Amino acid sequence: MTSTIRQMTTKGTPYFFLLPGLVILGALLSVPLYKVVEYSLYDNVIVERNPTYVGLANYQTLLTDPGYWSAGLNTLLFTVGSVLGHMVVGIGLALLVNADIAPRARTFFRSMLVLPWIFTAVVVALNWQLLLNPFGLINYILQWMGLTTEPLDWLGDPNLAMWSLLLISTWRGYPFIMVSFLSGLQTVPRELYEAAEIDGAGFWSKFWHVTLPQLKPVIYGVALLDLIWTFQLFPLVWLSTGGGPGRATEVLSTLTFRLAFVDFQFSQAATVAVSILIISAAFTLLYLRNEARRL
Amino acid sequence: MIKTRMTAFALAAATALTPLAAQGEIEWLQWFAAENTDGFYDELVADFEAKHPDITVKLVTQPFGKVRESIVTDSAIGVGSDVLGLNMPWTKEFLDIGILEPLDDYLARDDNSFATGDLVEAPLGKIDGHTWMVPLNAFPFVMHVNMGLVREAGFDAPPATWAELSAQTSAISALQDGTSGIGMPFSSQPPSNGPILTFLPLLYANGGRIMDGTTPNFDNPKVVETLQYLKDMNDAGGMAPGAASRTGGVDLEEFIAGRTGFLISPGVHSSSITSRNPELDYTLVRVPSNGENAYRVHGWEIGISADSANKEDAWTFVNYLLSPEVNARAAKAANALPGNLKALDAVREGADETLIKQMDILSGDTPVEEMRQSPKAVGSWSVMTEEIQAMLRGDQTPAETATAVQARWIELAK
Repeated sequence: MTSTIRQMTTKGTPYFFLLPGLVILGALLSVPLYKVVEYSLYDNVIVERNPTYVGLANYQTLLTDPGYWSAGLNTLLFTVGSVLGHMVVGIGLALLVNADIAPRARTFFRSMLVLPWIFTAVVVALNWQLLLNPFGLINYILQWMGLTTEPLDWLGDPNLAMWSLLLISTWRGYPFIMVSFLSGLQTVPRELYEAAEIDGAGFWSKFWHVTLPQLKPVIYGVALLDLIWTFQLFPLVWLSTGGGPGRATEVLSTLTFRLAFVDFQFSQAATVAVSILIISAAFTLLYLRNEARRL
Repeated sequence: MIKTRMTAFALAAATALTPLAAQGEIEWLQWFAAENTDGFYDELVADFEAKHPDITVKLVTQPFGKVRESIVTDSAIGVGSDVLGLNMPWTKEFLDIGILEPLDDYLARDDNSFATGDLVEAPLGKIDGHTWMVPLNAFPFVMHVNMGLVREAGFDAPPATWAELSAQTSAISALQDGTSGIGMPFSSQPPSNGPILTFLPLLYANGGRIMDGTTPNFDNPKVVETLQYLKDMNDAGGMAPGAASRTGGVDLEEFIAGRTGFLISPGVHSSSITSRNPELDYTLVRVPSNGENAYRVHGWEIGISADSANKEDAWTFVNYLLSPEVNARAAKAANALPGNLKALDAVREGADETLIKQMDILSGDTPVEEMRQSPKAVGSWSVMTEEIQAMLRGDQTPAETATAVQARWIELAK
């Protein structure tokens, strides 16, 4: 009997140490997840004291709502555009700050270029609103250079708003990619570049045939992470355009917020949130498979 | 012994975990203190607690844009505040959810520090047979004027009519790059309420309305006429460019910086304008009329949560806030007019010219407040914003705009 208890105690110790983590995960992840899915199965919750179970009716409504599909398309554009922007700018700047220049200058540029990452979404949105204002600096420069004759309403014109949002998102998000690639670049063996140089390779040849293949695992992993984050990005979009003008920049996350806190349709909002969850989970599975392969 | 200790422990734990505080402690959720950063409301609470040692007040301050959602979500999970700072347009939505406590019985008490008949009337009107809120203060929507730009454009006096406003906005916009006649904040950014800040005051000064009782009535000739007026002003260049990305905050900042001639907004903004830019040649006037001297009345309201466990203490605090002496102090702190009109004389003493002008507007013109009985008021602003954006872009006529808003609003209210 005593030996059985001792055995159980010994075997149970690791689980005991796991307990706080499991409790926190349970409280912070599982319960809200369960509640959101549950909410999506009722006619309305929070504002309705006695909600009625409606099964999948909210999903049916959502799938026939043009507003949902429009927000979905905008989310796709915003996500793909942002990730591409982050990648191109991030890789380019990582190559520049990895250059063999004076150490102080290199540290200075690395510190400055990482700054957009540390600003909060509110600060980023406000600054870009000022820059993109019809009387702002960007319009002033464009007119001074003779590229435009009239000030453009970058965030208020439906044809320009998504492009402006992509610019803001690219500026905000490239530092993470830059830092990730910078660390990746420092693991590429110098011998490979030396061998390529002996073979007569120039900058672009070295980039295509040495740097990119060596960074491929990093690119894939970081791109997937970025995809997951950007897909559900809310504050930057809401604070920069509010999903407007009209619904030109409405993405699934802003639609969720609008349904919940503007229209008080919490069950519809939960339904959109579940659809975001399903797509994000698919991206996450891809990411985890990639990480497992690397290990 | 062990049993006693266990019971004591359980009691202590239960006390610690109970979300609603002990009797005599109430929570006041509001945004008012966020607009008065000089600690006025902390002093007010301290004064109340000194006079009522058995009640403590926890002041919870949030930005205006956050308060509505906090009230709803807090109420849903049972941690709502006892006393609530309210905005009249939220009334109908909150009633549908059952958040507010009817105040009729409290108002009928003989020992109140005020007479109900002395309170500003707009928030008191009964909905579903009851009164749901009382006014802490009140202010009319007015037009703030940059007299420097008005004179520079060749005019001696601010505009009093729509025709004069059109002429002056175009003339000011023509002065130089970066200067505009008037700003119109029709951005979709939260709270996306440009139409109720600017369009409604112009509509009321045109004798129009958007509600028929509790039913939306947006597609009527007066609305179309007012939309046409906005469109004409925009086409003539009188309106600052970028209305579709201009927020109320930016609109106020641009006026304070002296880059727009006129700003239609609550009169309470006069204190921000004069304190932030004392050099501005500034005055305020009633919103230019097109036949009717009517103004959109606004204010900071107070209600009690239906779920409050301390309703009596909550009312004691509300009663304190509405007493003429306290109400006058609160009004002066916000540079607004008192919710209790018995405090008017105290507020008038030492009041500046802009406050006196607001008092004249309040006493002489017709107050209008339609949004408090409007279904889905907040959602309706977004719809108005989106359709007015499309009209100013030239995508649809004013008549089509009115029809589109009406259809979408009715759909939203279903």
